[in-house]
Amino acid sequence: MCSDFIVSEPRIIETKLEFPYSRTLGPVMGAFFMALRDGQLLGIRAKDRRVLAPPLEYDPETGESLGTEMVPIGPGGTVEAWTWVDDPTQKHPLDHPFAFALVKPDGADTSMVSAVDAGRVEAVHTGMRVTARYRSEPQGLITDLEAWEPTKS
Amino acid sequence: MNERCAIVGVGQTHFKKRRDDVSIAGLLREAIDRALADAELTLRDIDAVVIGKAPDAFEGIVMPEIFLADAVGATNKPLLRVHTAGSVGGSTLVVGAHHVITGIHGTVLTVAWEKQSEGNAQWGLAGGRSGGIGAGGAFAPWMRAYIQQSGAPDYIGWMVAVKDRRNAAKNPYAHLKMPDITLEKVKESPMLWDPIRFHESCPSSDGACAAIVTNEEGAKRAPRPPAWIHGLSVRSELGQFPGRNPVRPQAGVECAHDVYRQAGITDPRSQIDMAELYVPFSWYEPMWLEGHDIAGPGEGWKMVDTGETDLGGAFPVNPSGGVLSTNAIGASGMVRFAEAAQQVRGLAGEHQVDGVRTALAQAYGGAAQYFAMGVLRNTPPE
Repeated sequence: MCSDFIVSEPRIIETKLEFPYSRTLGPVMGAFFMALRDGQLLGIRAKDRRVLAPPLEYDPETGESLGTEMVPIGPGGTVEAWTWVDDPTQKHPLDHPFAFALVKPDGADTSMVSAVDAGRVEAVHTGMRVTARYRSEPQGLITDLEAWEPTKS
Repeated sequence: MNERCAIVGVGQTHFKKRRDDVSIAGLLREAIDRALADAELTLRDIDAVVIGKAPDAFEGIVMPEIFLADAVGATNKPLLRVHTAGSVGGSTLVVGAHHVITGIHGTVLTVAWEKQSEGNAQWGLAGGRSGGIGAGGAFAPWMRAYIQQSGAPDYIGWMVAVKDRRNAAKNPYAHLKMPDITLEKVKESPMLWDPIRFHESCPSSDGACAAIVTNEEGAKRAPRPPAWIHGLSVRSELGQFPGRNPVRPQAGVECAHDVYRQAGITDPRSQIDMAELYVPFSWYEPMWLEGHDIAGPGEGWKMVDTGETDLGGAFPVNPSGGVLSTNAIGASGMVRFAEAAQQVRGLAGEHQVDGVRTALAQAYGGAAQYFAMGVLRNTPPE
């Protein structure tokens, strides 16, 4: 009968449901991520000779296919705009205060959003020179570019 | 005031289980470039873009039309996303054509796609939970109900599978090509969801389809014969409600009647020369023949049995090999319209039906609750 079953303590089973998607990157983003894993940033040469970073498959103005003329860029760069993150959450790229910035890598004509690890807000300014810092154990993700840090003069 | 509207360019990718050589953007662009080449147009000639795909959970990219804007040539142009589950490719073309018919735009690019290899559709359909029954599991009871109501023999499903797989062998873009398929092989393949056996089910495909719709001026400039649109309709109903007849959904009946009325069709079986119907599981061929009043009640399976829906029959259905042979879900509805267009244009190649003047395209989605249909002809509307 029911009374035969004595529950001493509630049993809790924790499960984690997840489904990993796989992404095929194609010839342009594929080349970008392969090089990033090796600590090299790549841009792509557009029809108007500008170097776009990160590289795009199709021209953002005309939609033309840009081909695959990849151009090495960085590791230096210039901060073009920034905002300070004083209280990072778990989803932020760094666990201490940092700046989200538009950084134009040397050799590129456009800027990309990245974290700038400058320690304190007073250390960041538009036009400051920064250098790419890569993850020591690359994962093939955009976060392999861990952050930009102030260039030591 | 209604403008005349025609399909002047279509493009498909070669559908495969896995296209790991291209990005999603590159996949769409393959279909788009083929459609532009067919119409001898460039992206500069396009006034607006309508893009369609099935649930975002399939690839795990939310609102993919945003990041695809460059690839589909939509920069600084109106870009609209359509989502009506499996019927979306059809609905996308209908929405694009409506922009032309109403005179809002002159030439519209429509494109629909799925890259199933990047995710898991069955998992996506279950809303991100495990234990989903999948599309086959959802549809199987309605097929059993159809069989019970119509008295159809079990080999009808096998016949549809054999026909579509053999037709696909003539279609360079089709995914599954099985020219040597036999009734015996279908019959002996594993039962997945009674009554659906393995060879009576669609594959999971990567691929895209694009179609360019334009007004009368655009059609006059077209280098190849246009496929003129004589009727377009979309209808939907709830996936479940008391009294619903899922074997013959009312939305499907009304969608068909609407599109026939627009095209002046009173006897679809004799006035339509061929049809591309959305048949992901074999039994849906006779079910849609009846569900769209092409055949009377209990008569759909007899059209299959007598060979009427064969490539050389009186009412060929899915000469392309259909969804049964190729299913990049979001693209599949548009492929029905694209293949119907190629038939009236006389450009279908090895699976061309002789002398097609009027073709029917149909797509359905969700729990057999969303419908998109079109009637295409080789001559413009009156």
